Amino acid sequence: MTFELRARDIRKSFGGVEVLHGVDLDAVGGSVLALLGENGAGKSTLVKIIAGDYQADSGAIEVDGASYPVLTPRQARDLGVAIIFQEFQDASTLTVAENISLGRLPATRGLVSWKAMKDRARRILDQLQVDIDPDDIVGTLRVGERQIVEIARSLSGSARLLILDEPTAALSHHEAETLFQFIRRLRDQGVAIIYITHRLDEVTAVADRVQVLRDGSTSLLTDVAATDRRAMIEAMIGRRMAEVGRPAPATWAIGERPALAWRAASAGRAFADVSLEVRPGEVVGLFGKLGSGAAEVGETAFGIHPLSAGTLEVNGQPMTLKDPYSAIAAGTGFLPADRKAGGAFLVRPIAENVAVASWPRLSTMGFISERVEGKAFQRWRERLSIRSRNDPRQTMGTLSGGNQQKVLLARWLERDSRALVLIEPTRGVDVGAREDIYRSLRELAAGGAAVLVVTSDYEEAVQVADRVYVMSKGRVATELHGDAITTAQLLAAAGG
Amino acid sequence: MTDEDLGSGTPRAAGEALVTSASSGEAAALPPRRRGISLPETAALFLVLVALFLFFSFTSKYFFSTDNIVNILQNVARIGIVACPATLLMIGGQFDLSVGSMAAFTAMLMAVLAAPVGVTKTPFAMGLGIEISFVLALLGAFLIGALNAFSVTVLRINALITTLGTLAIFRGLTKVLGDGQTIRIENFGGLGIMRIPEGGLPVPVYIFVAVVIISIVILRYTTYGRSMYAIGASPTAARLAGIRTNRAIAIGFLLSSAMAGLAGLILLSQVGGASVNANTGFELQVVTAVVLGGASLSGGRGGIPGTIIAVLIVGVLANGLIQLGVPSFWIEVANGVLLLAAVGFDQLRIRLTKSTA
Repeated sequence: MTFELRARDIRKSFGGVEVLHGVDLDAVGGSVLALLGENGAGKSTLVKIIAGDYQADSGAIEVDGASYPVLTPRQARDLGVAIIFQEFQDASTLTVAENISLGRLPATRGLVSWKAMKDRARRILDQLQVDIDPDDIVGTLRVGERQIVEIARSLSGSARLLILDEPTAALSHHEAETLFQFIRRLRDQGVAIIYITHRLDEVTAVADRVQVLRDGSTSLLTDVAATDRRAMIEAMIGRRMAEVGRPAPATWAIGERPALAWRAASAGRAFADVSLEVRPGEVVGLFGKLGSGAAEVGETAFGIHPLSAGTLEVNGQPMTLKDPYSAIAAGTGFLPADRKAGGAFLVRPIAENVAVASWPRLSTMGFISERVEGKAFQRWRERLSIRSRNDPRQTMGTLSGGNQQKVLLARWLERDSRALVLIEPTRGVDVGAREDIYRSLRELAAGGAAVLVVTSDYEEAVQVADRVYVMSKGRVATELHGDAITTAQLLAAAGG
Repeated sequence: MTDEDLGSGTPRAAGEALVTSASSGEAAALPPRRRGISLPETAALFLVLVALFLFFSFTSKYFFSTDNIVNILQNVARIGIVACPATLLMIGGQFDLSVGSMAAFTAMLMAVLAAPVGVTKTPFAMGLGIEISFVLALLGAFLIGALNAFSVTVLRINALITTLGTLAIFRGLTKVLGDGQTIRIENFGGLGIMRIPEGGLPVPVYIFVAVVIISIVILRYTTYGRSMYAIGASPTAARLAGIRTNRAIAIGFLLSSAMAGLAGLILLSQVGGASVNANTGFELQVVTAVVLGGASLSGGRGGIPGTIIAVLIVGVLANGLIQLGVPSFWIEVANGVLLLAAVGFDQLRIRLTKSTA
């Protein structure tokens, strides 16, 4: 009998806000369903309800003719539902065989039977037609192989529905292709597959049907053969395509000599042959999906990774930056993607968070006073609309994400940085603060700063940049100017 | 307990924020009132100290006397002198377990350098003057600190393993230098025993006070001290803010070794000889005091006032138990219990902040 799972009229709210407005979903054995949508569209919430991780507020899930208003994780597993997350949930120091049997090691009289365990692993891996040694340590495998081991593990529990959550995010092109073949084989063996992604080319490569979610509702459900990229993009972003506004064009002079310039620059396997320039007075976007190499390009400007070939010029001078300290000395400021781990000192006062990069200037003979730091904070509080108490000693961790980001921006303004590199500057930042940050960046450019915004958010690129470089698979795919910067153009250039 | 328990400011994911109203997160970001960070904790610690002090004053005849109080101060001075740089290191997310061995080695080095050739049994006796021996011994301590610093910052061996290694190495070398014996030293009473003014407080107490004041100034008012807080709060963020993290941590280990050496020489002066087993378990007392004083094992928090009160608690407890006639073995037990209690309390604090931050 063919496996069929039907989710009907699923509703779910978090904190009083409904994120799924009565969604249906059908998963059928021998077929791959691509679940497409932007961040926050409700894809993950929906599949977590199917896997029993979340409980739906209303609706039902029908499997094998029985109807379940809610599923527990255990029930879902017994029904044959397995979900593979982006982050590995394996035991990286153990062997492939141990991982596949994790939690149900074959044992006789309390002693583990290694032979039975290896046989089981080999049987499953053979069935999947993959060439992985059961004795290999999982941590030494390539990312793609590790993913397959995780899938093998779920199959050893005889999964009938396999849910993959953006499985190719960390894979190389070749590895992704191997994974697709693998998924097709599973499908042909009768497994039902839900494949979550926001990459259009993957939909056409691997899926039979596609369901697009937008803001918690289904906006498109059709056979892949019956649709095209444009229809899918429109279904994904819909009316918001028109809403995102372009900034007013620069009325100020753009400098001649680039503040930052990469010339045929490469860095290991992250990116290759990248040439781009950021001039004083410009806000330049560097747009690319996760794994495109865009973030790594930005990081080389701050001495975090070295270049393996090509040059980086700062104000026209070729420079070898060996650490952030030398980058700061060269006049560059940097906001990392991970604000909590790499930017903010959450347990320390706001004023110190502002002043820290300027200590050499603000201190006398190594002494720094809270009063001087407090003044530095006050200089930027109004200008950047930092919402905090009027107290320089308030700890950083008590501010919202958007305001923390403004404080970090203030850090580099206080340092008088002439070039700013920002990686995902508004990730996890709410709309109000986002507008403040974009306005500040435009003002900075007007004041003569060179700003590079590295982002995987196409709306951000549209809203803030004068020019955008689009990166795909470690290379600059294209450069867009002015009104050519639209969400559709960006998505097309970034390879879906 | 901390000011993070206000639980505000957790940003929504970008997509979700589009659904909710724009500025609700902003309004919640303003906590209702300000609160000091360490004051309540230090105050609680102070009450413990007072309670212990009163308890021993009433239960022991000898405890509350000028002589005994001077005695306590003299004993805690050595712990306190080392606990100050240890606090600095702990704030930077590092620690130094080799202080006991460094103290013993430095003392032995000085005793051997000053020992008359041929008279003492050790083949390393040099017969140098007291002053030059003193300086060379401190230099030796400094080199051990440089070794710790090199291992932690350049070789990237973590502080626990590095200083556990040097703990063993220099305890062993102390025995090598002294040929397994206690080496006596003459005419070196000034540092440990002399009182200023006559009948007043012993010299180590003044050194202790000076180290405390200097440490408070360093931690509160210098970019160096503040960079240690930043490194402890987030090493990556500190590096990305242009702080030379390796340099700062290396200086911390050098300060720790210099003070450990000084503490060793003070004991040498007090006892009049360097024993191969001197300062065993010293690191335990120091770490106990630092953690009990509120410096977090996860770095970024702590201060000298807390450490000092904790040092006094350790000293009063040890002295009081002796006065009550408790066998000295039990004092070691009490110290261990105190350390576990302090770390347990720190873990509780970390968990509380994590769940609400």
